[in-house]
Amino acid sequence: MNFRFQDKKITGILTVLPEHEQKFVDDMKNFNFPEARSLKLKQVMGYDKHRLVTAGTCASDLAIFGFRHLIEKELLAPDGLDAMIVVTQSPDYFMPPTSNVIQGELGLKQDAFCMDINQGCAGFVIGLIQAFLMLEQESVSRVALVNVDVLSRKVSTKDRNSYPLTGDAASITIIESDPGAGPIYANLKMDGTRREILIIPAGGLRMPSTPETAVLEDVGDGNLRAKDHLRMDGTAVFNFAQVEVPPMIESLMQFARADINQVDWFLFHQPNKFMLEKLCDKMKVPFAKMPSNVVENFGNASGVTIPTAISFNLAEQLRSGGVTACLAAFGSGLTWGSMLLRLGPLAFCSMIDYR
Amino acid sequence: MEQFIAKLAEILETRELKEDSRLASFPAWDSLGVLSTIAMIESLYRVNLMSPDLAGIKTVDELWKLVQSRRTD
Repeated sequence: MNFRFQDKKITGILTVLPEHEQKFVDDMKNFNFPEARSLKLKQVMGYDKHRLVTAGTCASDLAIFGFRHLIEKELLAPDGLDAMIVVTQSPDYFMPPTSNVIQGELGLKQDAFCMDINQGCAGFVIGLIQAFLMLEQESVSRVALVNVDVLSRKVSTKDRNSYPLTGDAASITIIESDPGAGPIYANLKMDGTRREILIIPAGGLRMPSTPETAVLEDVGDGNLRAKDHLRMDGTAVFNFAQVEVPPMIESLMQFARADINQVDWFLFHQPNKFMLEKLCDKMKVPFAKMPSNVVENFGNASGVTIPTAISFNLAEQLRSGGVTACLAAFGSGLTWGSMLLRLGPLAFCSMIDYR
Repeated sequence: MEQFIAKLAEILETRELKEDSRLASFPAWDSLGVLSTIAMIESLYRVNLMSPDLAGIKTVDELWKLVQSRRTD
C-alpha cells in the first residue's frame, strides 16, 4: 500500500553502538569450515568486524543510554515527547512493552503514547510510517522512534550463516510536525506465508524454551544451531530481496512522480555488501550512491542499519544541508517498504558508544 | 554455454570444469558458492533460482538445462 505524508520531518538521528567489537577472523575459529572458505565469505559479503553487547545488556539499556546523552547535551527536552515507538524483536520482556520500560526509566510524562512494534530489518521504514501516522493527531507534535536489537544474544556463534553479520545497536530518530515540510512518499508490503525464512523457532508460546530447544544441532553445511537461535535461510532472503525490492522502488518513484536520478542517496537496509551490490546492478543505480559499509564496520543490527548508514556516512552533510533520500528496508515477516523524502538539515546526527 | 561454464568455474575456483563435472566435488560448492551461482544466473540470464530448485541438480550440464528451461527472454 502507498502512503503520502505532509508537514512532517525528521529532525535528529542518534546511533548507539555497544563498545565491544569482535573481528570476523576471531569468529572464524568457531566455524566448522576450512579457513580459506571463511576468508572467501569475508571478502564476498564484506564482513570484518561487528559490535555486540556483552552479557546481560538489553534493548532498553542501549536506548536509555542514548536518550540520557540527548537530554544531557540539551538536544532533546524529555517533556517534549508525545509518543515513543520502539521497534525491536529482542524486547526486555514479553510483558510489559520495552517502550514503557524506557518511559519509566527516563521519567517521561504520562501524557504519552508508548508503543512497541515487533518488526525486524524493515523496522526503520515501518517505524517512520507509524510516527507520521501519529503526527496526524493535533495532540502529537514530536515522536521518538527507537530502533533497537540485541539479536546477537539469539544467534549461535557456530552458525556461519548468521553470526558474522549480526550486530547489536540502537538508534533514536526524532520526528516532528513542521507545517510546509514534505511531501514524503512511502510504500509497504507484507507476506506472512514466507514467515519461516527468518525465524526464532523456540521461546514463544508456540514452542516454549526447554533444555531440548537449547541443544545445538547439526543443521548441515557444518553449522550448529539450537531451536532457541535465530534461523535464516540466506538464499531465500537473497532471492526475496532481488525479486521484491527493485519493483518496489520503481513503484515508489511512479507514485511520487519522481525520477530515480533525482535521488542523492539510496539508504538501504544493510544485510551485507553482496546483496546491496546485486540490488544496485539490478536497479541500475551507481554503487557510489548507496552506502554499504555498515556490516563491515558494525554488523547488521536489523532496523538500526539505515540510521547507522546515515549517521556514519552523511552526518556532516545532514547537519548543514539537505538531500533527497530513498530508503528501502526488507526483512522478517516478510515485510518490505520504501520511502522517498528530503532528509536534513538535522539538529543532530551522530554516533556514540554504549559503555 | 561457454560463458556459463567460465563464470561457474570462477565461482568454484577451478580451471577444470566440464559439462559432466559433479558440483559437489568442488569444496567451493558450499552455501556461499550456491548463493554466488544463483546471483550469477540471475544477473546473466534473468532467472531466479531458489535453493530447493538446486536440490536435485548434480552436474554442470543439469544446472545449465535448468537455467535454459526457466529462461523467458
